[in-house]
Amino acid sequence: MNAENQSLMALSPSPHVKHKNTTQSIMRDVLIALSGAFVWSIVVFGYMAAVLTVLSVALCVFYEFAYQKLMRKPVTVSDLSAAVTGVLIAFNVPVDIAPWVLIFGCFFAIIIVKQLFGGIGKNIVNPAIAARIFMFVCWPSEMSRFFKPDAVTSSTPLASMKSGALPDYPMLDMFLGLIPGCIGEVSSLLLIIGGIYLLVRRVITPQIPIAFILTVAVFYLALSPVGTPLQSLGYGVFGGGLILGAIFMATDYTTSPVTPVGRIIFGVGCGLITVAIRFLGAYPEGVSFAIMIMNLLVYYIDKFTMPRVFGMGKQKNS
Amino acid sequence: MAYTFRGGVHMNEYKLTAQSPIEVLPTPDKVIIPLSQHIGAPCKALVNVGDRVDKGQVIGAVEKGLGCPVHASVSGTVEKIESVYTPQGRKVEQIIIASDGENRLSPDIRPYDGDIFNVSAEDCIEAVRVAGISGMGGATFPTYAKIASAVGKVRHIIINSAECEPFITANHRLMLESPDEITAGLRILMHVFGLQKGLIAVEDNKPDAIVRLRESVGDKGDIEVKEMKTKYPQGDERQLIYALTGVELKAGKLPADVGCVIFNSETCYNVYRALASGMPLIERIVTVTGDCLRTPKNVLAPIGTPVSRLIEFCGGLKEKPEKLITGGPMMGVAQWDMDIPVTKGTNAVLALSATFVKEPELPFNCIHCGKCIRVCPMHLMPLYLARNSRKGDYDECEKLNVLSCVECGSCAYICPGKVPIVQFIRVAKSVVNDRRRAKLLAAQASEKPVKSQPAVKSANETQTPEEPGEAKQTGKSANETQTSENSGEVQAAEVTGSAEKVPGNSGNRKTYEKEGN
Repeated sequence: MNAENQSLMALSPSPHVKHKNTTQSIMRDVLIALSGAFVWSIVVFGYMAAVLTVLSVALCVFYEFAYQKLMRKPVTVSDLSAAVTGVLIAFNVPVDIAPWVLIFGCFFAIIIVKQLFGGIGKNIVNPAIAARIFMFVCWPSEMSRFFKPDAVTSSTPLASMKSGALPDYPMLDMFLGLIPGCIGEVSSLLLIIGGIYLLVRRVITPQIPIAFILTVAVFYLALSPVGTPLQSLGYGVFGGGLILGAIFMATDYTTSPVTPVGRIIFGVGCGLITVAIRFLGAYPEGVSFAIMIMNLLVYYIDKFTMPRVFGMGKQKNS
Repeated sequence: MAYTFRGGVHMNEYKLTAQSPIEVLPTPDKVIIPLSQHIGAPCKALVNVGDRVDKGQVIGAVEKGLGCPVHASVSGTVEKIESVYTPQGRKVEQIIIASDGENRLSPDIRPYDGDIFNVSAEDCIEAVRVAGISGMGGATFPTYAKIASAVGKVRHIIINSAECEPFITANHRLMLESPDEITAGLRILMHVFGLQKGLIAVEDNKPDAIVRLRESVGDKGDIEVKEMKTKYPQGDERQLIYALTGVELKAGKLPADVGCVIFNSETCYNVYRALASGMPLIERIVTVTGDCLRTPKNVLAPIGTPVSRLIEFCGGLKEKPEKLITGGPMMGVAQWDMDIPVTKGTNAVLALSATFVKEPELPFNCIHCGKCIRVCPMHLMPLYLARNSRKGDYDECEKLNVLSCVECGSCAYICPGKVPIVQFIRVAKSVVNDRRRAKLLAAQASEKPVKSQPAVKSANETQTPEEPGEAKQTGKSANETQTSENSGEVQAAEVTGSAEKVPGNSGNRKTYEKEGN
């Protein structure tokens, strides 16, 4: 063994082996899980859905790249997190939105919400959710242009329900996604399949989506704002952004709790706020507000649901 | 149903050498025997340069305090006594013996005269002490001290053969090839502790070993072989005790405090040998493996064999390893020198290529995914420990029970953001420990001012020319840990370049929290 050989061996403390999962591989899984809904959006809304999604991804990646270059930070766009944010922003706008709105929306998400707070893992609210709310507040008419290519005009199921009317879509269309709505939120079926994929790949745990959706469902069943309780349940759960929000947005790592109990609390909290906004507030939809409000509480939820340390505190046998 | 605990990680096992019988290494030309291979005081050399020594002869002994004597593992001539780094990164004196190839046994080696299965506790402790046995799973706590502290206190004796670290098969092969010695060793220890029942814990990925052990136990029913779920860190003694007895061992407590005593299976094997033949601990089984080796093997090697000699015996290297590790991939220590010796705690030598140990390309970043919380066997919040440690908020780390961390590495293993969580935790632990020690010293000093000495506030403030005895002691422990940490840090930063952002390498400060692996 000559000295030259020896000096080239790497030294670092244990553990020496790592799991093959990386931030990049997780984000890739999220993109794969969203791909079904993406294809479906093209089927329902036409090529513009694809154009907007690609535009949104490109903008997000560009903003992140440009910011990191400008600030002389290591460029981390290859972790794909900006791409996921891009897809989610596109999925949260109607297909007839003026594309320039996305230029501002993506800027807000990546620069203001994510990078100014320190980049990946340090933002306190979900960038895509923040961008949706930002665009909704600044350009409400752009964000509410719900047309279907074959229809003159239509209102979303939630908007109908808000005005006290029973939406005139068959329940099956609701579930499959043949309804007006934002680009990515319409097909509950494909979003749920994507969610199952993420569960199987252990990217997400079931607590947040299940607690979130169940909480909302219970209120629709109990209060039944339109039609029969079952009709209310169907339109309420599948008619808006709940499935997309619960599976893909509320489960964003950075802005959700890390403990199992904390995740249930987070999910129930999201559900309660969503219901409160939908039933009592001025807006027909409340998922994004609910998630953003709960995002702000994550640190405290983590803190108060700290697991009991092994060997400390109360225990059964000693 | 296999016994287990909550948390931990399932990982690829890479037990490449599970089917390779133990091969005896031909006597090496020279052996390098460090005078401190255990937890406790280092030994004083009992031989001088030029002395002829016999195989098994005591060449270093501890004058007082906790410690194990060391023995010559070959016969030959003492060539050099010098201070060098051990695989654990400590600088200690070591004795280099040039072998004469005769393997002349020392006349001092005599079996215990009497029925070894009826040995008294005192005789057993003495025999084990003289044989220089220390924990062979990697923690190297002197075995005689463990027995002595546990006699009369324990209700359960557990032989730890979980071998949960990937790659290592030393215990596995020992169970297959010498099950009778293990069960005999366990029966001796059961007698010493006055227990009617003993347990052997084996992970269920070694069904053949379980069968062999059960055959060896026979119908007597005094020993139960327990199948443990294959999951890292199943071999951590806290998790083992919990899985088998349901008792959670508090941080800072020893197994004996909850009525348990745990020995690694090779330690147990050597306890038997110490009594049956009087053979001191001068050789051990080392799994020499990794994807850079031509033929990975289990090797029975004399203590002090240079690692380079083991590699040569295994057909040499296919390619230059990215990392050379002594011990397992989860808790072992990366080495910079292929000539470091095998010590009593070296259960494996891994030569791994970049496929296994590549440094990540992107800068590390916690994405708050919570996977570390799910795998932590101590149910800590590793990500918050790492964050607070990075910020320098060590008080918060202390509140989050940072001292409960056993540094098993599960969190850093699973982390998709590749955060060096364990290193941040080690830094926090050493700071918290230092602060506690300083507080303790201050409290002691204000309670009973020592004779002619001004009140010692902390280790750093001792400025007055002290009286040799007292002041030396107070300052010493803190200083010692510090130097060992610093040296580790320097090594890490110098050699890998990429590791410079990473706080100190203090992997050597593993204590007897973990027996077995």
